[in-house]
Amino acid sequence: MTDQSADVMGGFKDARTFRQEALSARSYGQALLAAAKADPRIVCLGADLSQPTQTYLFRDELPERFFMLGIQEANMVGVAGGLARTGDIPFAHSFCVFITRRVYDQIAMQAAYPKLPVKLVGFIPGLHTELGVSHQAIDDIALMRALPNMAVIEPSGPEQIAAAVDAALSYDGPVYLRLSISRTKPDETVPLIPLELGKGLIVRRGEDIAILASGSMVAEAMAAADLLDAQGLSATVANMASLKPLDTGLVEQLARNHRVLVTAENHSIIGGLGSAVADVLALAGVSTKFAMVGVRDIFAEGGTTPYLMQKYGLTAQHIADKALELHRRPRA
Amino acid sequence: MTRNSLSIEALEAGALILRRRVVRMVAKLRVGYLQQGLGAADLFAALYFGELNLDETDPDWPQRDRFILSTAHNTAVLYAAMAERGLIPAEMLDGYTQDGSPLEVNASERLGSLVEATCGSLGQGLSVGVGMALGLRRKGLSSRVYVVLGDGELQEGQVWEAALSAGGHALDNLCMIIDRNFMQVEGHTDKVVRMDPLADKFAAFGWNALEIDGNSMAQIVGALDAARDFKGKPTLIVANTLPGAGVAFLEGQLAHVARITSDDAQRALDILEGAAA
Repeated sequence: MTDQSADVMGGFKDARTFRQEALSARSYGQALLAAAKADPRIVCLGADLSQPTQTYLFRDELPERFFMLGIQEANMVGVAGGLARTGDIPFAHSFCVFITRRVYDQIAMQAAYPKLPVKLVGFIPGLHTELGVSHQAIDDIALMRALPNMAVIEPSGPEQIAAAVDAALSYDGPVYLRLSISRTKPDETVPLIPLELGKGLIVRRGEDIAILASGSMVAEAMAAADLLDAQGLSATVANMASLKPLDTGLVEQLARNHRVLVTAENHSIIGGLGSAVADVLALAGVSTKFAMVGVRDIFAEGGTTPYLMQKYGLTAQHIADKALELHRRPRA
Repeated sequence: MTRNSLSIEALEAGALILRRRVVRMVAKLRVGYLQQGLGAADLFAALYFGELNLDETDPDWPQRDRFILSTAHNTAVLYAAMAERGLIPAEMLDGYTQDGSPLEVNASERLGSLVEATCGSLGQGLSVGVGMALGLRRKGLSSRVYVVLGDGELQEGQVWEAALSAGGHALDNLCMIIDRNFMQVEGHTDKVVRMDPLADKFAAFGWNALEIDGNSMAQIVGALDAARDFKGKPTLIVANTLPGAGVAFLEGQLAHVARITSDDAQRALDILEGAAA
């Protein structure tokens, strides 16, 4: 990496300055652009969708490193592999469904098996959208977790998105970044939070119940903790943005220190965070009261986010109810 | 390193050596990619002994030309060509497809960067080639990218996505060779999905499309020269190859995975040993 980025900005700023910008960004598009200014190996690939993936910022400022492939995700993943083999770090973008399930074999062969630094960036995670089942990614984490060499990252929101991009770059291999674009302007007063690959982050400390969540479900978990508080129970909330590698030590520790463990994810309960945590508990021989909040092995339909979250059991209330029910249940 | 400038006769002699190796390698297994190996021996000789700019002492040399075998299974002839070029020791060929050998049936990068991309899941090689061509061009490297596809593989939709982007990005540092032997597991490719007019399809996608006799060394070399000189478009060489080429009693037999008895293998070797080098 060169320390000077004169090729892109006429030498006004050095790589350290851009890296600082990258780490303080509140949107994916800004974080990626600043990271690319700091590291000339970063290139950006699109399959249409520059606007909804915020990569238009990259396109407009670094056009010689931006490759618009058109609506052809399979080819894009192969092209990303080819670019990576010439020394580039490609970030390839689409919606979560199309950058994972639609191109699974291409990812396995051209990114995961050769362990290339191809960063797959998806938007619209889980049940979020009126676009319906075609655009609802409920199995993407399961698919990506199953691939050897692949890391999977889902930040909680704008406060963690810059750290997510940095974490993706910290690993010299393929990464799936599961992102959400907030429809409102990010709240600049919310403190930025870190993200380290393989580490969970405790964002609230309690004693009775531990809620492990990722992505938008971190906010739901925090709200659930408030609901539980009103019932006289205190909850720990862990942000498990690094879904693979998972912080197995933290999972075990939380299971041992709390009477109830609940996972919360906007994803199928098969193969996602809940499954990963269950694997850790079973293999470690830790017996605890345990429940998974997530999509229950079912396809959904198009709808507004609050409607879908309510209908499919993904709200703070659902998390709190599940935790209470488990807490009241006598130990087996 | 520079491109080897060998005469047509020298390259033909190289192809004959590859054919002998293919027969021996497949005969040892009694079954394998015999017909494809014989059919493509002239293409591999032209590429590995002439066209490809490689450094035998440094497989990762950044300025090297890139070669991708998208079908990945025509490996008897591929490994034989690598050995004859001095990229791998010839003794390694003895372990072809044996458990633990890096010379797998489908070429994988367990062999190192000599295998520039692990393919075999059909239809993916051209996309990787497009990415390499874009990356090399952006870095100002004059390396060229060669991708060999099977004709059956053209039934995969991803090939056409990649063809569109190669044409759209005007990748004149990219050359695709279609090893057109009309053979797939199901039988004759035309009986599965008719592909004609093939060169015209790619021309319409923005390619400089050529069609040659893939068993004529003069035509292969001429097409590779033309591809290198052509600016502004990627070049496609449709190379019509004859399965079993060079061994009269095998020529034209369509067998995706051919069985060969030791007697027939000896007959084939007698023919190839007797052939003028």
